[in-house]
Amino acid sequence: MELQEKLKILADSAKYDASCSSSGSNRKSGSGVGNTAIAGICHSFASDGRCISLLKILLTNCCIFDCKYCLNRKSNNIKRAIFTPEEICTLTLNFYRRNYIEGLFLSSGIIKNPDYTMELLIKTIFLLRNKYHFNGYIHAKAIPGASPKLLKKLGLLVDRLSANIELPTENGLKLLAPNKESKNVSQIMEYVKINQSKKYVPAGQSTQMIIGATKETDLQIMSKSANLYNQYHLKRVFYSAYVPINKDNLLPSLEHPPLIRENRLYQADWLLRYYNFKVTDLLDVKNPNFNILIDPKADWALRHLEEFPKEINTCSYNELLKIPGIGVKSARRIISSRRNFTIHLEDLKRMGVVLKRAKYFILCNGKYITNKEFFNKKFIERNVMLEERSLIPTNKEQLRLF
Amino acid sequence: MNNIYIYDGDFISLLNIILYLLKNNLHPENIKTDVYHPSLFENTIYLSILKNEKIIDQIISAFGQYAMRSMYYVFLSKEENKELILYYFFQNALKRRHKIMYYHNLKCVSEVLRISNYVRHETHKMKGFLRFKELEKNILYAEMEPTNNILFLVSCHFVNRLKNEFWVIKDNKRKIISIYDKKQFVIVKEEEFKLSQKESKGEQNIEFLWRIFYKTIGIKERRNERCRMNFMPKKYWKYITEVKEEL
Ligand code: SF4
Repeated sequence: MELQEKLKILADSAKYDASCSSSGSNRKSGSGVGNTAIAGICHSFASDGRCISLLKILLTNCCIFDCKYCLNRKSNNIKRAIFTPEEICTLTLNFYRRNYIEGLFLSSGIIKNPDYTMELLIKTIFLLRNKYHFNGYIHAKAIPGASPKLLKKLGLLVDRLSANIELPTENGLKLLAPNKESKNVSQIMEYVKINQSKKYVPAGQSTQMIIGATKETDLQIMSKSANLYNQYHLKRVFYSAYVPINKDNLLPSLEHPPLIRENRLYQADWLLRYYNFKVTDLLDVKNPNFNILIDPKADWALRHLEEFPKEINTCSYNELLKIPGIGVKSARRIISSRRNFTIHLEDLKRMGVVLKRAKYFILCNGKYITNKEFFNKKFIERNVMLEERSLIPTNKEQLRLF
Repeated sequence: MNNIYIYDGDFISLLNIILYLLKNNLHPENIKTDVYHPSLFENTIYLSILKNEKIIDQIISAFGQYAMRSMYYVFLSKEENKELILYYFFQNALKRRHKIMYYHNLKCVSEVLRISNYVRHETHKMKGFLRFKELEKNILYAEMEPTNNILFLVSCHFVNRLKNEFWVIKDNKRKIISIYDKKQFVIVKEEEFKLSQKESKGEQNIEFLWRIFYKTIGIKERRNERCRMNFMPKKYWKYITEVKEEL
């Protein structure tokens, strides 16, 4: 098979992995090829608007497993291909030199058994690092069930090593990925967590959950994420809206991937990691799913309107973070500025505050920006929804789904 | 009289002139490079001031590294009145010293922040969007047309990234070229450097493979043109291998 055909097949089968980041590592180039940038760099954007930073491919799309949601499952009748290690090196190096990519994302279907597959991944990456002295970014997927010895070897070669948990609950996994065991994934996470260092998986680990293929609620998903962040110190959890590729009675018959829901989960994930929110602040048993029409932070604020409006010049950093329209950067700016002068309304925009959103929730020098009469839930909610509508890149189909 | 002060286009000269004006309590109508064409009502003044390089260190110790860097980024921007903005910034920084960057309520500070961030962002974008071609003799060659004058900043990145390669980057808007010889880079005018543009044998094939990858990796059920444009504005497409054909 020609290289171009392999590339087509093996990029096509890797594209559903949402992970894109190339950050968190700073490998120096020395006498070899390339380095990594601690902040990560996007090199291109695909037709779906997602960032392209790494050459994202599978080593092979042959697989002995039969996960229901996956294009590469054993029972699918599709063209199969396998890269040789040299082919992967050629592509990576040539793309890298031309500045198409930050590095390589290498995953694989399982051939023969997990250990055999891992050995192939290791062989490829070993070649890239040691024969070709490649110092760019490498993100490899660990194969669940592979032995710790191999996890060790692979982790010493790459920047990021991760395993996908795929579904947030054991039940979901049993239903759709009958050959997989969640304990195999948690074993990998545990191993990487314990061994992580400047030499071993320096950019840390991440994982991915598929959204909308099973019936789990957002509460279940977010609780799982919070759990993963705490327990395994993951750098990121990625959420991947389920794209209906296979027909199966066990799978929902969606017409479109649930993209807005995916977006809400990312927003909430952000709130957990940088804004000191807890899952229980955002969701509970009575409201187990995010409001599709309003972002989670504004939604929270609307449910806690008694805490607002907050005075910009006096409230704490933590309180600033809870105000819709104020991000981490602008909150920090506000704190450092107000030590030097009193903040006026016209200064806020310059500090990066999104006034259009924040104006309902703040006082500036004791002044409420719009008419105080309008400080009520109904009015604010309606306005926020109207703005959101123009923000969400979507088609009507999707809204009807929820 | 509307006094326009003229400098030679060099950052250090500009800083020296600004300092001179401030010390002597002179209020410029504007400060411009020597290609400026004054109108009838403007009076251009050429000052012969010593180019004191120490001014950089002096600024760093007086206002801080962050302020210094931001000033330099403003200098690289395409902003029309950047020299004047730097003049006012400098004037206020003399009062606020190290705290100057916190004063978002001063127009000159928020302008410096806005413009320097713009230059910083464009540089970061270009680190991703720049595309090299392989020419004969293994030389890597790239062209770009950035809005701001970021060739120097971009070159600094590739000195580390492509340390063991010969590379050349050309800014087509400003007609300047950065040349790297595996040790250091120099920036020269277009006419000072000739290069045979003949591509290496394998070049077309690699570009072809890259386009295949690009087309394959997008998920068609998630197609989102608006999002793609936001992140990768059309003005850069001309030089981006995988999308220039879509133009
Ligand atoms: S293990 Fe499951 S998800 Fe992974 S490639 Fe095989 S079928 Fe697909």
